[in-house]
Amino acid sequence: MGQATDTVERTEIGHDEFDPIGTLALIMVYFAILVALWLFMYFVEFLGNDPTVTGAVVPVVGLI
Amino acid sequence: MSESRNAYIDAFPAEAKVVRAAFYSSFLALALGGVFGIIQTLHRTDVFRFIDSTDYYTVLTAHGVFLVISFTIFFLVGIFTWAITTSLDRSVKDIRFTWGWYSLMAIGITLTGVAILAGFTDSIDMSADVLFTFYAPLQGHPLFYIGLVLFIVGTWLAGADWFRTWWAWKQENPDERIPLPTFMVLTTMLMWYIATLGVAASVLLFLLPWSLGLIETVNPLLTRTLFWFFGHPIVYFWLMPAYMMWYIMLPKVSGGKLFSDPLARVVFVLFLILSVPTGIHHQYLDPGIAEGFKFIAMTNTMFLLLPSLLTAFTVVASMEHGARQRGGEGYFGWLKALPWRDPVFTGMALAGLMFAAAGFSGMINAGMNINYLVHNTFWVVGHFHLTVGTAVALTFMAVTYWFLPQVTGKALWNRSVALGQVVLWFLGMTFMSNAMHRGGLLGIPRRTAEPQYDGFEFEASVGSVAELDAQIALGGILLTLSLVLFFANVIGTALNGRSDTLPDNSYAETLSGPEDAPKVLDNLKLWTIIAIILVIFAYTFPLLSIIDRGGLFGPDINPFPVSIETIPMLAMALEGYTTAAVASAGEFAQATLLGVIR
Amino acid sequence: MNIHTYEKLWLIAAMVLIVGFIATITYGSVALGITMVGDQEDTIEPRELSEDDRFGEPRVEQVGENEYEAYVVARTFMFQPDPIEIPENSEVTFYVTARDVIHSFSVAGTNINTMAIPGEIATMTAEFDEPGEYGIVCNEYCGSGHHNMEGELHVLPEDEFDLTELSVEADDEVALEDDDEVTLEIAVENGQLEDLETTIEAEIGDETFTEDVTVEGDSTYETTVSVDAADLGEGDHDWSVTVDDYEESGTVTVVDQLEDDGGDDDE
Repeated sequence: MGQATDTVERTEIGHDEFDPIGTLALIMVYFAILVALWLFMYFVEFLGNDPTVTGAVVPVVGLI
Repeated sequence: MSESRNAYIDAFPAEAKVVRAAFYSSFLALALGGVFGIIQTLHRTDVFRFIDSTDYYTVLTAHGVFLVISFTIFFLVGIFTWAITTSLDRSVKDIRFTWGWYSLMAIGITLTGVAILAGFTDSIDMSADVLFTFYAPLQGHPLFYIGLVLFIVGTWLAGADWFRTWWAWKQENPDERIPLPTFMVLTTMLMWYIATLGVAASVLLFLLPWSLGLIETVNPLLTRTLFWFFGHPIVYFWLMPAYMMWYIMLPKVSGGKLFSDPLARVVFVLFLILSVPTGIHHQYLDPGIAEGFKFIAMTNTMFLLLPSLLTAFTVVASMEHGARQRGGEGYFGWLKALPWRDPVFTGMALAGLMFAAAGFSGMINAGMNINYLVHNTFWVVGHFHLTVGTAVALTFMAVTYWFLPQVTGKALWNRSVALGQVVLWFLGMTFMSNAMHRGGLLGIPRRTAEPQYDGFEFEASVGSVAELDAQIALGGILLTLSLVLFFANVIGTALNGRSDTLPDNSYAETLSGPEDAPKVLDNLKLWTIIAIILVIFAYTFPLLSIIDRGGLFGPDINPFPVSIETIPMLAMALEGYTTAAVASAGEFAQATLLGVIR
Repeated sequence: MNIHTYEKLWLIAAMVLIVGFIATITYGSVALGITMVGDQEDTIEPRELSEDDRFGEPRVEQVGENEYEAYVVARTFMFQPDPIEIPENSEVTFYVTARDVIHSFSVAGTNINTMAIPGEIATMTAEFDEPGEYGIVCNEYCGSGHHNMEGELHVLPEDEFDLTELSVEADDEVALEDDDEVTLEIAVENGQLEDLETTIEAEIGDETFTEDVTVEGDSTYETTVSVDAADLGEGDHDWSVTVDDYEESGTVTVVDQLEDDGGDDDE
């Protein structure tokens, strides 16, 4: 029922005339956000949340 | 009179009845789940506690099972039936068979629901406070497992129904491409068949016989691993109908066409082959599974991001196509040209936006060692309230505003209320899930009645725990209001008279159609075989190793019937319990009623 | 199949993202040495935990100069031991198992987090550089009292940490007529690997004893102090033994004659 009440006039845009530049712009913004948030989460939130589990295999051997 | 009208109910009156029944079952579950949702939100945040904390877990089990099993899957079978009949333009082979699987699902979930809700009262020796994941040695009443089995068998038969209809169509149209909606249904169901093998094995071989006392013990790690074999792909089972709506309805309501049919097919094929061999990423912190297996699960999971990332592009491009046709311009200006006053569009668009955010928290969940930070914290709850709780639920609610008139033949009661409803849901979930994510990073656990401890406090570097609780409670209240508006519309529409001016039953056309898609994409056998091979690769060794280590039936250990073990604790908390008992009697009456209705 | 150039671009970007994520995680594993809970340990019978060397008595043990092992049992609805005490500047390996249902062992506000599954033993090694107190939560639903399941992890300053255990055995009643002595059998156990230099102070009635001792690493020092019952006289006499911060005390009664002389021949 979406368009039933729409009064916006439309122009037909075919396959070859359509370049989704707006989508590319939006999704690049998304990409940048993802990269920034990932780095923040891994290197600040995670690695900054010491102590962290490290090499469980090595120390057991190290009896004096 | 009705000759001018071409709604779904006009073309497929018999199927429309089944779809309607499935929708109403789904909405009933949504209502119950919503009530339990607000109870636990207020309880957990300590804003308003009127149930005993031991009953919180019954509430939580009901909230989880009703929403992620019955709400989502009943809605799925509704729109899948619609998609098959509409896109193949033919009726199901035998409507009695269709009613058969619907009834089986309804009976199954009612049994499970009764087993869960009986946990509220001591007068019946029955409970299943085992949450949606039912990890052994926690044990539920056999009825809980039996109900689940019937429900899942119902979905299997539903799939058979759709395949049968497609085969009949193929006989008559041997050279045609599978219509996109049917393609989506079939690939999703193939994925579901593979995925449910895990839970079927877990329940039929171990948990059900064990709850009946036929076998003494189970291997907790084995049943847990089998659960996640099913437990991860089920999230795609919730998500695929929403994806379908984004691919075939959203472009249409945006005023455009689907950008690429071939890529949509690629996406669904990727989901078919990659959904299952990823479940171990829920077990990154499980002892007894080697790190190597966890790493394999991680790479599979990470590559499973691909179909979702592709979907983001295709769906947004389709929206943009609509916006440009409506006169939208500029890099971002076209967004203003979208039909934001249409609740169907706005609901789906906001759901998609939330899914973009959910995608990020999902990427964190997919990461192996970073799981130490977030595993089983409130973060995870925030994540799936964005995915299933918004991307899926909000999409379902939004498309309901289109589907309801189609399957009832009645006009939607109120479009403005509908618009308010979807926006309110978006706002409520923004508050709630944001606070949940942040709380998780402080180490606040999920699945607990009282995340307030005696010996220590969670320390927030920004804001405070009280502020997070306030946001969650506020979010919960907004979501509840949104649900009230939704049901007002559902009931209002049902009470409406017949409408003669319904839009036609149709879905989006494509800019790049199936003729551009390589034929191999439609080779379902090939993709199924690849999917099975990947599952074998990912799961054979972990499963063998778990069985080798712990035995098929695990160590010697007592089942943990939650209801019986808790009696001393209940005795301690006897005061205040009377109120809960009264409330639960009401709840139980409701459950019985539900059984009768069905 | 024609894919739009922009979409191809996004496809590449998406792959970069995915590979980047995997690379980050791999960096964490390889370069930073963050290991996952795995299958290093054999399985264990949950019913037989009480007879097990490690989990029979959940505790902290020193295994190297700054290396400790903590054997932790998660059960409805508590952690053992509680609190877990370890020194700062130490490397601690946690061995965690569950007695009944699936729990978790999660140190709030840190990256120490594991599932505790009956039959399986999770191992995690972490370094504690600073003293502090952490809460431990069970973040897997384990039954109706799940929300009450909590523990504490205390990282103590080095000078406040020890693994010393003091135990004293003493008679309740001593008879005058046998010329008996009031005897305290004192055992000081040093669970740490380096020697423990300390002073044993004992007091029986008004008599005091002081002994400077060196308890060797991972061993127990035993000593006895005694006073003639006659010197104390008939009646109740308090005694106490102090080693560092540990104190044991009790009361001994000196009587004229034991009523039942049967099993009481300690000399």
